[in-house]
Amino acid sequence: MHRLLARQIKQSTDESGQVDMTRLVELVSAAYEESDRDRRRTDRAIKLMIEELEQTHKRSEQDLSHAREFLDSIIENIPIAVFAKDARDSRYILLNRAGEDYYGMPREEMLGKTPEQLFPADIARVVNEQDRGVVDTGTPMFLEGHLLEVGVNGHDRVVNSRKLLVRDGNGEPQYLVGVIEDVTERITSEARISHLAHHDALTDLPNRSAFNQTLNGRLEHAQEASASFAVLSLDLDRFKDVNDVFGHPVGDMMMRAAAERLVAEADGAFVARIGGDEFMILMPDDIRREDVLSLAERLVEAIGTELEVDDYLSHVGLSVGIAIYPDDGVDAATLLANADSALYRAKREGRGRVCFFETEMDRELRDRRLLQHDLRQAVEQNQLLVYFQPQARMEGEIIGFEALVRWNHPTRGIVPPDQFIPLAEENGLIIEIGEWVLREACREAASWPRPLQVAVNLSPVQFQAGDLERSIHQILLETGLAPTRLEVEITEGVLIGDFTRALSLLRRLKALGIRIAMDDFGTGYSSLSYLQSFPFDKIKIDRSFILNLEATPQSAEIVRAVLSLAHALHIPVVAEGVETEVQRAFLQSEACEEMQGYLIGRPEPIEHYFELIGINVERRRYA
Amino acid sequence: MQIQYRHWNAAHGWRGGNALRESPQLVLYFGSREGLAGGERYRELRSFYPDSHIVGCSTGGQIHGDDIADDVIVAVALHFATTQVRVVNETIESREASRLCGMRFARQLAAPDLAGVFVLSEGLSVNGNELIAGVTEVLGPDLLVTGGLAGDGTKMEQTLVGADGEPQPNRIAAIGFYGASFRFAHGCAGGWDVFGPRRKVTKSDGPVVLELDGEPPVDLYTRYLGEEEAAAMPGSGLAFPLRIHDEAEPERQIVRSVFAVDRDAGTLTFAADIPEGCTAQLMRANFDSLAAGAGEAGRQARNALADEVVGDKLAILVSCTGRRKVMGQRTQDELDAVAAELGDDVTRIGFYSYGEIAPPAATGRCELHNQTMTVTMIAEAAA
Repeated sequence: MHRLLARQIKQSTDESGQVDMTRLVELVSAAYEESDRDRRRTDRAIKLMIEELEQTHKRSEQDLSHAREFLDSIIENIPIAVFAKDARDSRYILLNRAGEDYYGMPREEMLGKTPEQLFPADIARVVNEQDRGVVDTGTPMFLEGHLLEVGVNGHDRVVNSRKLLVRDGNGEPQYLVGVIEDVTERITSEARISHLAHHDALTDLPNRSAFNQTLNGRLEHAQEASASFAVLSLDLDRFKDVNDVFGHPVGDMMMRAAAERLVAEADGAFVARIGGDEFMILMPDDIRREDVLSLAERLVEAIGTELEVDDYLSHVGLSVGIAIYPDDGVDAATLLANADSALYRAKREGRGRVCFFETEMDRELRDRRLLQHDLRQAVEQNQLLVYFQPQARMEGEIIGFEALVRWNHPTRGIVPPDQFIPLAEENGLIIEIGEWVLREACREAASWPRPLQVAVNLSPVQFQAGDLERSIHQILLETGLAPTRLEVEITEGVLIGDFTRALSLLRRLKALGIRIAMDDFGTGYSSLSYLQSFPFDKIKIDRSFILNLEATPQSAEIVRAVLSLAHALHIPVVAEGVETEVQRAFLQSEACEEMQGYLIGRPEPIEHYFELIGINVERRRYA
Repeated sequence: MQIQYRHWNAAHGWRGGNALRESPQLVLYFGSREGLAGGERYRELRSFYPDSHIVGCSTGGQIHGDDIADDVIVAVALHFATTQVRVVNETIESREASRLCGMRFARQLAAPDLAGVFVLSEGLSVNGNELIAGVTEVLGPDLLVTGGLAGDGTKMEQTLVGADGEPQPNRIAAIGFYGASFRFAHGCAGGWDVFGPRRKVTKSDGPVVLELDGEPPVDLYTRYLGEEEAAAMPGSGLAFPLRIHDEAEPERQIVRSVFAVDRDAGTLTFAADIPEGCTAQLMRANFDSLAAGAGEAGRQARNALADEVVGDKLAILVSCTGRRKVMGQRTQDELDAVAAELGDDVTRIGFYSYGEIAPPAATGRCELHNQTMTVTMIAEAAA
């Protein structure tokens, strides 16, 4: 009996054992109904489930077909040749657009054909061998950087190609998939990049990094072989002027010509260009000192000979510093530093020279660095002072002062400006110093009872970096000095370089009411053209002409010429370095407007000139 | 441990087995909501056991031995040799307070020698998952927690829980068992099989599913049940629970059954949260597979119970009202299957619930279940 029926009978039987038939029938009938309902539900669920699974299957197929289209369009459009072949007989079954270009035939002609039907016999044989190799071993083939064997893209193309095997569901070889990538451009540019990394673009000589690498190799070798060798540090003298005068295109040609001469004269030594106009030479091992010297002198002579490029003539010179391994250093850093200090000495001794390194130089160079280091603290520790030198009309009436910076070094005493200003320009400290001088000068001038003018020098570096216009404006606001009382003195160095930017800055300063004076006039190259480009308020004739007035007749002529030129342009002239009454008289007779020099007064602290600026000395002292 | 079994019906009042020699520490009882309302049965039990903790709840059918009954109240009184028992109860103010409520009673129960917790909770407004999460947060994932949500037949109107007091709505009771000789084992299985395609829960809000694969879930259920049966939702929806599969926790496979239907909105409310974005698959079962599932739960529980037990063994069966609905007269089959696995020496009591609490074998992490048979075994080893 069914377990359920037994239970139903039990449930329908009372305590006396009497079966309640009505109750039993109810239970049995309900059980049938439950079973029917369950069966219906099951049938329905199975039917629906089949429908749903069919729909899902259909959707999956659609998704798959979309994915296939998507992949097809990628394969079709990538710029790399892609093909697929039947693994059994190498018959082509897929080819993309780049593949058509590569083989030089439309896919209709290629698909369904074997290599023998498509390519010359020798090539077909190679292709088949490769295909069999991949199919038999199951290992992908990768050929890197080989020349094209077939196709129409020309035989000068370099390609990477690979083939790999795709197996079917049973693990049997089914397809060979191949890609062919044209890497010609990449390989050539890689070679070019590598060359560029080690060569100077202008002269094609090895660059700094190649030099360092070679030097290290030489050091290693010399150590093992107990050899000695010379390191030459070379610097072209006055090359900057070539660029300034003729412009960079000509300067570049000159640089190439100079480099060629160096290489020609260097007897096969290693020549590198390591910076703007700096070169290094590594001499072969164990060359005698006098031979090194004579080679260096030949180089100086070769460069010193007139360079003629495209009808441009130029005189550049060469200075050479020499350090010798192992006497002047056993490591790269020391050798280079010592060759540099020898070069520095050569340049200081008048250029066009050759200097061997001596311990003395080392000290000088270090001293220079020390000074540069001290300079950083000078500003913070109030070691800088502003001195004032009076400027006057020819009759003697004081019209103003030039502010001049001095450095009162705690141990060295007063350091002259021509020693520390170049240092400050080298490390950019001049921006801070220049601003400080300007502020001090303006503050001081603003406190004077007499509204005399004050002249302040601006360095080219200040023009190139920072926001000079804003800082001048700010200082004028801070100090309350009328802009018309301020005069800035610039040298033509300001206008060399970014001429347009410097000019527009000068114009804006002038628009503020500030006067602009051209300093050191007559010592540079192109002063005349600069006079044309900008309406200077004043010209300052360089002291060197005034100093020689009495000694050389040419100086007098030059001064006369400058004065007449300036007058023709309606620009007043200040003569610098006027020390004697004779000089003054000459200048006055030539109608020079103003003068400055020991005859009027030396640069001094302002206290020295209290009376000139209208301060009652007694009152100020005790006020 | 010693067990005294009692049952009550309207015709005979309380009847029961041999009296215990010593006063029991714990009495458990289950009955229909109507049978427990008013508190009279509780007061009678209290008069039998003045010093015991008395804990019980309303159900969707009581299990006593091999039988299911709706009009019988079943009770067991347990005397432990060494095990200590503590009972706590809380009122749950709102569904949102479920987690806090779990944490609150877990803190009261926590002790170094706590060996197991059995929870009887209000069955309609509690968020069972959150309640368990609160308990686990305090007691740690290793402590075994089992139990069930109280039921109300197929009416789903009000459920009652009582702990040392008359049964009341909105209450949660928890029993803590303490001591080294306490033995606590469990089993948990359904017997449902997934069928049909996997569906994505494209829109849901807590336990309310708004869209399955972009379609109102009511439409799907109507298709599968047929118009006629669909009219009997949510009850008929119990035939097709959902298996929830969360990609973030692939081990975790949860069964959820329909609790409520909103035909206008086309939405279904399930017994617990169904996160948006998870995968859901319909499940179905036949009488045999459900019975086999119950047997599996019994086997797990029996295997988990240590051998060195002395005295009586109690099995508390908490099964789902949904199963009873699907199996109809065959419900007895699942009790038979459990009995066959447990053996004759185990006293069986239990109820049909609105949610079962136990850790499934796959994760060992305590969860709220639907459509599942859970078996909790209580015994004592020699001290």
